Amino acid sequence: MKNKNIEHIISLSNDLRWQIGDEFHDNLAEGIYADAAEIVKDSVHKTDEKNKLRLDARIDKIITSKIWGFPIMFLILALVLWLTIIGANYPSSMLAGLLLDTVHPALKAFASSIGMPWWLDGFLIDGVYLAVAWVIAVMLPPMAIFFPLFTLLEDFGYLPRVAFNLDHLFKLSGAHGKQALTMSMGFGCNAAGVVATRIIDSPRERLIAIITNNFSLCNGRWPTQILIATIFVGAVVPNSFSSIASLSAVIGIAILGIFFMFLVSWALSKTVLKGEVSTFNLELPPYRPPRFWKTIYTSLIDRTIIVLWRAIVFAAPAGAVIWLISNVYLGDQSMAAWLISSLDGFGFLLGLNGVILVAYIVAIPANEIVIPTILMLTVLVTGIDGGAGAGVMFELDSVSATGDVLRAGGWTLLTAINLMLFSLLHNPCSTTIYTIYKETKSVKWTVVASILPVIMGFIVTFLVAQIWRLFI
Amino acid sequence: MEVKAKSACETCSHFNAEGLKRLGVNTTEVDFVVALAGNPNTGKSTVFNALTGLRQHTGNWPGKTVTRAEGAFEYNKEKYKLVDLPGTYSLLSTSEDEEVARNFILFGKPDVTVIVVDASRLERNLNLVLQILEITDRAVLCLNLMDEAERNHIEIDTRTLARYLGIPVVPTSARYDKGIPELIQTISEVANGKIICKPHRIKNIPKNIENAVQKLSLEIKKEYPEIANSRWIAFRLLEGDEHIIELLRTGEFV
Amino acid sequence: MNTYNPITALLIFLAISVFAYLLFRPYKGWYWLIKTNSKSNGKIVVEDILKLLYHSENANKHLNLNDIIRTLKTNDTLIVDSINKMAAHELIFMEGDAVKLTKSGSDYALRIVRAHRLWEKFLAEKTGFDRAEWHERAERKEHELTKDETDILASKLGNPQFDPHGDPIPTNTGKIAKIKGTALSELTVDTIGRIIHIKDKPDIIYKQILAEKIHIGSLIRVVDKTASRIVFHSEGESFVLAPIIAGNITVSILEKDVVVEENLARLSILKEGETAKIIGISKEIRGESRRRLLDLGFVKGADVRLDLLNPLGEPNAFLIKGTSIALRNNQASKILIKKV
Ligand SMILES: Nc1nc2c(ncn2[C@@H]2O[C@H](COP(=O)(O)OP(=O)(O)OP(=O)(O)O)[C@@H](O)[C@H]2O)c(=O)[nH]1
Ligand SMILES: [Mg+2]
Repeated sequence: MKNKNIEHIISLSNDLRWQIGDEFHDNLAEGIYADAAEIVKDSVHKTDEKNKLRLDARIDKIITSKIWGFPIMFLILALVLWLTIIGANYPSSMLAGLLLDTVHPALKAFASSIGMPWWLDGFLIDGVYLAVAWVIAVMLPPMAIFFPLFTLLEDFGYLPRVAFNLDHLFKLSGAHGKQALTMSMGFGCNAAGVVATRIIDSPRERLIAIITNNFSLCNGRWPTQILIATIFVGAVVPNSFSSIASLSAVIGIAILGIFFMFLVSWALSKTVLKGEVSTFNLELPPYRPPRFWKTIYTSLIDRTIIVLWRAIVFAAPAGAVIWLISNVYLGDQSMAAWLISSLDGFGFLLGLNGVILVAYIVAIPANEIVIPTILMLTVLVTGIDGGAGAGVMFELDSVSATGDVLRAGGWTLLTAINLMLFSLLHNPCSTTIYTIYKETKSVKWTVVASILPVIMGFIVTFLVAQIWRLFI
Repeated sequence: MEVKAKSACETCSHFNAEGLKRLGVNTTEVDFVVALAGNPNTGKSTVFNALTGLRQHTGNWPGKTVTRAEGAFEYNKEKYKLVDLPGTYSLLSTSEDEEVARNFILFGKPDVTVIVVDASRLERNLNLVLQILEITDRAVLCLNLMDEAERNHIEIDTRTLARYLGIPVVPTSARYDKGIPELIQTISEVANGKIICKPHRIKNIPKNIENAVQKLSLEIKKEYPEIANSRWIAFRLLEGDEHIIELLRTGEFV
Repeated sequence: MNTYNPITALLIFLAISVFAYLLFRPYKGWYWLIKTNSKSNGKIVVEDILKLLYHSENANKHLNLNDIIRTLKTNDTLIVDSINKMAAHELIFMEGDAVKLTKSGSDYALRIVRAHRLWEKFLAEKTGFDRAEWHERAERKEHELTKDETDILASKLGNPQFDPHGDPIPTNTGKIAKIKGTALSELTVDTIGRIIHIKDKPDIIYKQILAEKIHIGSLIRVVDKTASRIVFHSEGESFVLAPIIAGNITVSILEKDVVVEENLARLSILKEGETAKIIGISKEIRGESRRRLLDLGFVKGADVRLDLLNPLGEPNAFLIKGTSIALRNNQASKILIKKV
């Protein structure tokens, strides 16, 4: 490209800028709006001034009222979770029955009939297939319920009201109110939440939103919470209260996550990301009745495809890795057993165990596979006979069977609670880490965002474990 | 609440429903590039989905779309690439959250810019519309959310509006696929030059600014006779926009 | 695991936390101290001296070594060392006992001034820091920015000509705009301005002005004016000067910020359901946030209504041009309205 000599234009523009003064933008904006007003005056007619948007205003009065605003937010969260937990139960066990009880033996039989060597059969069917099947059975139903419900709320126009209600708390913690929106997106998927932070204009506040997005319990972690709460928390109360108890436990964890989000935002804005809060402005759109069936249909289809895809991309190799480390021997110990026993001491300090820590290492690619990994490894170290060899998932088609395996692995209520806490407070999954890097373009902040939650997880579970052991 | 996806115009002689083929993400070898611009939450992504058959996420809050999305459709054997953009309030700002959209509208050189506006909030939406009309002379106004405007008893005289703005105006309810055929037809006519736009230029500017703009744009025209939006460049220069100065040096925007 | 005991574990944890706290405590932790200590090197002192000299020469005042030591509150030997070093590098020269800037010294000083003012502009436009913090932060930042960084910053800000205090920002070629000021004696009643210059000749008048503790940079407002005297308020005090003295003080007239001047109502006082007309946006809202407000429709003459109250007190939502827009009080209080 040839460079034109335009210095005279630039110096002319500088001179003119001096003459016009700093009111330029104000004047221009006013001028444009004046044009707009003229145009609208001639082309738009309101036939009925009075009646407009009355319903919207009435809904808003309730949703943002002093008395009802916060309880409604809480109730909506509880309702969504309740529907998810209750609704996922049946399809989950049905899928597990189908994929694990019927298809798995059939595949095994088929493999032996064509004379597949044991290691290939184990690697593919017991490793890859089982991991994928587990993810589908455990993850798909809650997601298929959670996402449509969330999308309905989103289409209705509820999210901006949440941001409206919560903004003051964000301001107090030195963050931007639109972080409420990115946090809500994070409940679906942290990577999506991190991308959504682009709506925050101030770089400092955007960074805070990115780093703390991981404290929104993402969809890959809901099922872990739900499963563990059902098995362990639900069991300590009388039967009739068990579903309430496990629901409250899960909600408690989600709210704890929000609390940590505020806490860390505050701490960051007081130290490394020091600065005042910038300005906040948010348009509150009118409520729009969602198109129920269409929403359910599209979010179901979209999510199903994404979950299946992730399952194949991440769970399959992870399943293979698990099978491998359980079947590769270092001396007389399998690699998995060696890893587990070397992490057991640290795990104990945290009120967890070696299995869980190894599972979290294996599951860095995707949070979805934590529970299946834990189960496989527990089966491995406790030597429960699943009839299928090392590193093979037990046939866990029911929640109680899962519970039995875990208890056999030495789990207590403390282990369960700390697992739930650790599932909330640990490093983001690899997709999210990569997204954070892409969005911040900074290795430093990516590392901070990845390490900070794990350290908090260690501290919190450690404290809970010690105090628990002291008093209970 | 479902409205039948039928529109009066589907029977018109000029409308050829056979001519439309939704091509999804296949955006190779296109004839025209069409940008979807507009304020946040006016239904850009919904229009995008209706035209391309894709399922770009939509949601009832400003800021749902934050990255550029591309899709394509074919109409009367011509292939159009459609670019869904994040919402913007203004091209005059330098805020980072609006950068993606601003840059594409200003420098992406779309063949046609479809400006999606909220029919029941036309006045505030015109702020962006009038700015876009300063920089392009191939634009279509998509008057979306017509169903809501009707519910709120707002009547819009589209002919007057089109005369004022100097570009074609198409009322739509993208969510119910209403007006989409007409929109496609109009886009193709503008793209092919069958409709010539005479975009509105901002009038109510204080004298001193107007004089400055004229002086500057005259100088710019001297240097670059072929340039269409010298006025806009003058606006940006007066605002001290470094990006424009750079482009002016290299002459890259021509 | 034999020695494990929850209490021991907790105690060890406590010890580690205390240690980490001592290490990383903001501003007082060892880590911080080491970090800041390593920075307070000679460069900063040199640059501070250059700046000091530059500003005084601009005010036609010449400093000697003692003046410099008195003004800069750093240790004396460091200053003397620096001055020697600067003389060796031909940044300064001595004329009598006055220390003066050479050409390259004043170029260097201008660069620092440029960095300082640009950074203040940046803080004002792009961050939410309190205005009281701007100067302090810019004082630190000016030593850190390289020339290239400064230029990038300038172009990001649209090559501004004035910093938020109204002081001109030197260009990257070292040009600096002269502020066209008005003599204080010429001002009419009710004018607001900032003192930008005090003539130091003739000496008697200059001494008198200094005795009044009038200094450059302070805001003034003329309250009364007769043929024999001029009365003005500045920083909470009232001053009376004879016109001949006032004639030696140059003031740049500031546009009346309507907020200060007429006690118009602010948007933040609107009660639910009340309607008002927008008069303007205070000058205190600048840059990006000002543009955003304008683009959202908060322009002169627009009708506005308080639409929704927040359960926590703020932000409240205002109905403007058909849409409800939530604003925090710090912005709403800077939008001026007239109730209707
Ligand atoms: N009633 C009605 N609702 C519509 C129409 N078009 C879009 N919507 C709804 O308006 C909301 C916003 O639509 P989007 O397509 O996400 O808007 P957008 O312009 O892409 O928004 P951003 O990406 O945030 O800038 C969604 O809830 C849509 O369902 C319409 O014609 N009628
Ligand atoms: Mg969109």
